[in-house]
Amino acid sequence: MRTFAQLLFSGLALGAIYALIALGFTVIYRASRVINFAQGQLLALGAFTTSWLVSSGKLPFWAAFVIGALGTAAVALVFQSGVLRFALGRPDFTIVMLTLGLATVLNSAIPTAFGDFPRTNGDPWGASAAHIYGVALPWVKIWTIVAALVVLVGFFAFNRYSKYGLAMRGAALDPEAALAVGIPLRRVYATAWVLAGVVACVGGVFLAGYPNTLDPTVSNVAFLAFPAIILGGIDSTTGAVLGGFVIGVVEELTAGYQPQYASWLGHNFYLVAPYVVMIAVLLVRPYGLFGTRPAERL
Amino acid sequence: MNPTGQSPPPVLDVVSLGLRFGAVAALTDVSFSVAEGELFAVIGPNGAGKTSLFNLLCRVYDPTAGRIVLNGLDMIDLRPHQLAGAGVARTFQNLGLFRPLSVLDNVLVGREHLMRCGTVRSGLSLPSARREEKANHFAALEALEFVGLSDVAGRPVGLLPYGVQKRVELARALVMEPRLLLLDEPVAGMSRSERMEIAELVRTIHGRRGLTIVLVEHDMGTVMSLAQRVLALDFGRTIAVGTPAEIQANDDVIRAYLGQAHEASA
Amino acid sequence: MSRRQRRALAVTVLVIAAVALPFGVNAYWRATFVFILIAALGALGLDVLTGRTGQISLGHAFFLGAGAYAGGYLGGNLHLNAVVWIPAAGVAAGILGALVGPTALRLRGLYLAIVTIGLVFIGQHIFVNVTAISGGPGGRALPAPSFGPVNFATGYSIGGLTISHDELYYLLALLLLALGMLYVRNLERSHLGRAMAAVRERELAAAVLGVHVARTKVTAFVISSAMAGVAGAMYASYLGFVVPTQWDLLLSIEYVVMIVVGGMASLWGPLLGAVFVIGFPALLQDVSGSLPFLSNGLGGGVISVSDASAVIYGGLLIVFLLIEPRGVVGLVTRLRTLATRRRAAAP
Repeated sequence: MRTFAQLLFSGLALGAIYALIALGFTVIYRASRVINFAQGQLLALGAFTTSWLVSSGKLPFWAAFVIGALGTAAVALVFQSGVLRFALGRPDFTIVMLTLGLATVLNSAIPTAFGDFPRTNGDPWGASAAHIYGVALPWVKIWTIVAALVVLVGFFAFNRYSKYGLAMRGAALDPEAALAVGIPLRRVYATAWVLAGVVACVGGVFLAGYPNTLDPTVSNVAFLAFPAIILGGIDSTTGAVLGGFVIGVVEELTAGYQPQYASWLGHNFYLVAPYVVMIAVLLVRPYGLFGTRPAERL
Repeated sequence: MNPTGQSPPPVLDVVSLGLRFGAVAALTDVSFSVAEGELFAVIGPNGAGKTSLFNLLCRVYDPTAGRIVLNGLDMIDLRPHQLAGAGVARTFQNLGLFRPLSVLDNVLVGREHLMRCGTVRSGLSLPSARREEKANHFAALEALEFVGLSDVAGRPVGLLPYGVQKRVELARALVMEPRLLLLDEPVAGMSRSERMEIAELVRTIHGRRGLTIVLVEHDMGTVMSLAQRVLALDFGRTIAVGTPAEIQANDDVIRAYLGQAHEASA
Repeated sequence: MSRRQRRALAVTVLVIAAVALPFGVNAYWRATFVFILIAALGALGLDVLTGRTGQISLGHAFFLGAGAYAGGYLGGNLHLNAVVWIPAAGVAAGILGALVGPTALRLRGLYLAIVTIGLVFIGQHIFVNVTAISGGPGGRALPAPSFGPVNFATGYSIGGLTISHDELYYLLALLLLALGMLYVRNLERSHLGRAMAAVRERELAAAVLGVHVARTKVTAFVISSAMAGVAGAMYASYLGFVVPTQWDLLLSIEYVVMIVVGGMASLWGPLLGAVFVIGFPALLQDVSGSLPFLSNGLGGGVISVSDASAVIYGGLLIVFLLIEPRGVVGLVTRLRTLATRRRAAAP
């Protein structure tokens, strides 16, 4: 039985990944009001590419990682400028189904291209761990948290201080006004998707670290991140990230304690617990805890 | 006047109505009443509070002060979806029509609150459902004839010209069998001839059906030719209430509208 | 011949063709047609909810599964006759739809989509854990219907003609689909159909006009899930054996593809969509021997049939959404308008 400290640490590591996934979703949503239901598949794409480059391409991990991120970003960019661009202003249903279409295609294309057997993600830490006060902290999880923080801080800085970050916020608030002041909407949307692709790759690679292995089901994780972004509110980056950490911790703690204390909830309840929480929250606050109600014209 | 010598209660009684958005007072202490069968208009320059008043009447907002009494009942208890059942029909400024549906279907939607058949009777096409449909079709076609649109009943409404769409909206409001008709800037964005056509239609509706009508409008000419009584707003306050002639002669009203062009028909 | 007579003749021919179809093809395609008809019923239900009432739902797999397990339990464990368990599957799923429906009252668009995705996950979790009904991760068997002397498991002989297991299922599925389409057609022409369209187009305006939005949405959920329940029960019964993992998000997406590609808010769209989504992979499988890049499970080939199908219909979903959102039915209408215009223009 793992101790509370271990569960908490695992929860933070998992939460870091959820935070990254949530960030991937919010980046795109805040720029263009689109939820990318294929984010999980982009995750898988990044992870598989990196893994393949390490095992077959014999590249060092960090090089493979960077190329993997660029490749995923490229696919994201192609989808955005080749498909989504033509669906601007279409109803929610259309946008949802377009990204689900991408998800369906990638879901089959990835195992076809890379094979569906489980493999390692290619990271150099494997199962090695640091030991602090008797608690074993796997190195890959430490690096996960570090990487997530780097990405989050980097993104925060980008958002706040860079020209493009400002442009993205403007585009999200009012696309028409943004156009009027000369913000290049197309480039803003493209940037958002490229960032989401990079973030997805980071999340995917670390998700497949010890004790997990990499197989196509890794893409399902993104669906587990929805509760995170809903909880935090889709249009709030801080909320989504916070939500990610909360959900990660909730999941690990549930996995650790539920079988003992509430076994009637069923096997592997921890997988659906975030969703139950999410639905409960949505019923009370239909736009998430921190989300805002979009204005409706009569 | 009824036998006891008292006038019948007003359909609409607005008492000290106020609406604030934070520090901004959209409406302050507005009072008026509309008698049964009256054609009442609310006018005012941009920003005067006409839209706020209309939105309060349509229960989009709750007032921050005062109350609106509809047929003796405080409207605070009505949610927007209960308006139809309370006998209130409204039109929309940017058209609340269902674009892919035909003109007839659009008008038929107005009969919804009068329909009783559920999914079982409708799905099995039972006689009671068919009878109800027939009765509603009859009412809808009658309304379309009234507004002069019988020949476009089958056309999808989204493809028709704006003036025609406005008339479809009026037909739909009629078919709801309302006691109070609320018109939201009925001639907004129209050419002079279109305005006269719609004004004439509203006049006919008022005359033939004896409906109580409250219209919010910017165009002075239309209002003066249609209304029996007028409320003039400015900066959220009442500046005058009276007949069109009285309003036109009122100094405060003239000052509020100074610089605005009047229609010659007034 | 008058228009009415021509119509009646067309319908008669269609009915005869539809009934005779399974007898003229091989076993593989017979089975495929059964799956198509069953899926069409499910898709018809989803169309009522999404196509006609405008409510995004990715939870269809949940209702299909619920119907399957309700039917399986009533028929397999309680040994009730199919004349009870088939409709009961619809009722059970419909009740669940009534419970889920109210969530659509509070949620819109994306949020509703995400909640319905959650419904699929929670559904799978429930299915796996309620082992008494679902048989747990190992799955459970479902009985074949039998109506008096007509036993679907063994086939039925009348006079010299033998109607096989597949053919019996086909005829029942055809009947259920026909009844479903008739029901939806009546609904379409009724005030409820208009209310659904109004809610889909402009919900706020509809409410102010007196449309009972809440009741309309919940009704749509109930109709949609009831049809899914019947379809799920039939599907499970025909398959013979079901496992909880098959009621997944991909299944829900398949149904959405059916209504999009077929044509939303149209009577024949769901059937056309089912023909494509079920028939196309079946076709690929059938010819996979002669297409070297397709692997048919026996080794060789670059891509499996199921993966190839998924890629293709994911792609087609995208293409149709961008270019012809009204699906195949929309395409047909466009071609017909073009043809009418050409004829009118020609001297």
